[in-house]
Amino acid sequence: MNLYLKLLSGSLRSRMQYKMNFLVSSLSYGLIMAVDFVLLAAILQRFDDVKGWNLYEVGLLYGISSVAITLYRVFCVEVHNFERYMVEGEFDSLLIRPVSPLSLLLTKNLDLSRIGGTIQGVLILVISIIGLKLNNVELFLLLIYLPVTIFSGVLICFSLGLITATIAFWTQRIKDFQTFTLYAPFNAANYPMNIYPGWLKIIFFTIIPVGFMNYTPILFLLKKGGDLWNLALPPVVAILFLFIALKFWKFGIRHYHSTGS
Amino acid sequence: MVYWILLQKSFMRNMQYKVAHLINNAASAIFGFVFIAIWVGVLQGKENESPYSALDMTFYIAAVQCILWLSGFLTAGLNIQNGVRNGAISLELARPTNFFLYVTSQEAGRLLYNLFFRSLPIGLAFSLTVGFYVPQYIPTYFFLCISILFAMIISINLHYLVGLSACWTTEINWAHFVNFTLLVGLGGQLVPIDLLPAPLSTITPYLPFAGAIYYPVMIFLEKVSSEVILIQLIWVVVLTSFNLWLTEKARHKLEIQGG
Repeated sequence: MNLYLKLLSGSLRSRMQYKMNFLVSSLSYGLIMAVDFVLLAAILQRFDDVKGWNLYEVGLLYGISSVAITLYRVFCVEVHNFERYMVEGEFDSLLIRPVSPLSLLLTKNLDLSRIGGTIQGVLILVISIIGLKLNNVELFLLLIYLPVTIFSGVLICFSLGLITATIAFWTQRIKDFQTFTLYAPFNAANYPMNIYPGWLKIIFFTIIPVGFMNYTPILFLLKKGGDLWNLALPPVVAILFLFIALKFWKFGIRHYHSTGS
Repeated sequence: MVYWILLQKSFMRNMQYKVAHLINNAASAIFGFVFIAIWVGVLQGKENESPYSALDMTFYIAAVQCILWLSGFLTAGLNIQNGVRNGAISLELARPTNFFLYVTSQEAGRLLYNLFFRSLPIGLAFSLTVGFYVPQYIPTYFFLCISILFAMIISINLHYLVGLSACWTTEINWAHFVNFTLLVGLGGQLVPIDLLPAPLSTITPYLPFAGAIYYPVMIFLEKVSSEVILIQLIWVVVLTSFNLWLTEKARHKLEIQGG
């Protein structure tokens, strides 16, 4: 842990050398996500709700999903860009270090420009929570639970990212897979799962389990269905999925063949 | 002609990633299904309040997902920024070929590839699942071809502008983000621009972003008069002229620096 923090602070210091670049990138990245939400707000303002979910309720799902994926993009940038290690043959250099390759990848770099997206997600959460006008008990429960659901979301996102990165051991290139395993599912998780056709719902509750991240607990917290078990599902699914992802990663490393170049 | 050869080479280069692109196409279709699901969910029971029915919006989103590969998802800065960073730009600008045509013809080759291996397969996927609109009037096909061509030229120009800005700023990531956001946001990727709240709905029809996505889709769906092509044409002329002028400026700037 000590080593992790040291490597992380080194990475942070190197990034902050380019403050202006950091600020502009963060702002523009936040802007992209904000425009996305503003468009959704425009639809929901005109048509009130989407299958029984109003703007603030969807905002809650949207905020959790946005914060989760952007935190993953901040802290796991090298896992996300793992393709480079295969294409440019840099993975060999990670294998000869005394620390595990995954620890090295997780500490090597930070993409602070994505923080803008996280801040924007938090803002949407704040606006939505205020707009929902919950009573004290409901508000307390939601605020207590939010870190759990966000952390579970980051773990699910990281697991999906790691599984996708592992595919690179066989295919080298993974950018096209990422659209399928990360971008599309997390975009889908911005909205309530009850709007999707059955086959999509099955995917989002099994092989790409983003439905558990925010939809399941929020369903219970906003009294839209389910019971107390709904709150236990996100961390349980996240840990289980992380376990599978780590196993797959180790399996991938065992099958890695260096090009020798 | 050298630009036609560049276009062909770019097309062939992309052919090497067919399998990866097919996977990406599935993801692109999923994005489409998500947006369609949102609209169907929103419009259920409220179709009389909307100028578009749920079926209209299904066709709209399906068509948008196809056109995005021709005028939405272009190479960031058309890779001009890489040449600026490693100095190759001085050589590229000094070539006897026209730099603007040199860069844009390569991107055009990629877009032509996208037409066959991205847009058409995605369109086919929608046809087999949720359905795809078929234009009823023969002239629509003619106007659609022109509108798509103009949409591609507008978008290539916008991306060229972002790329060439690297000659002054070196860093184009943020400019690309902003350009892409405006392109999909004000181009009508998720919301047809006439449904945007005022004053956006009054301004956006005259911006180039509408010409890149919204107009070709609306011509395809036969929901606007073909006269909108004139708005596209104006942007084609304005942006191309501006970029040619800016390319000259960039060349002079390089000469001042000594290349």
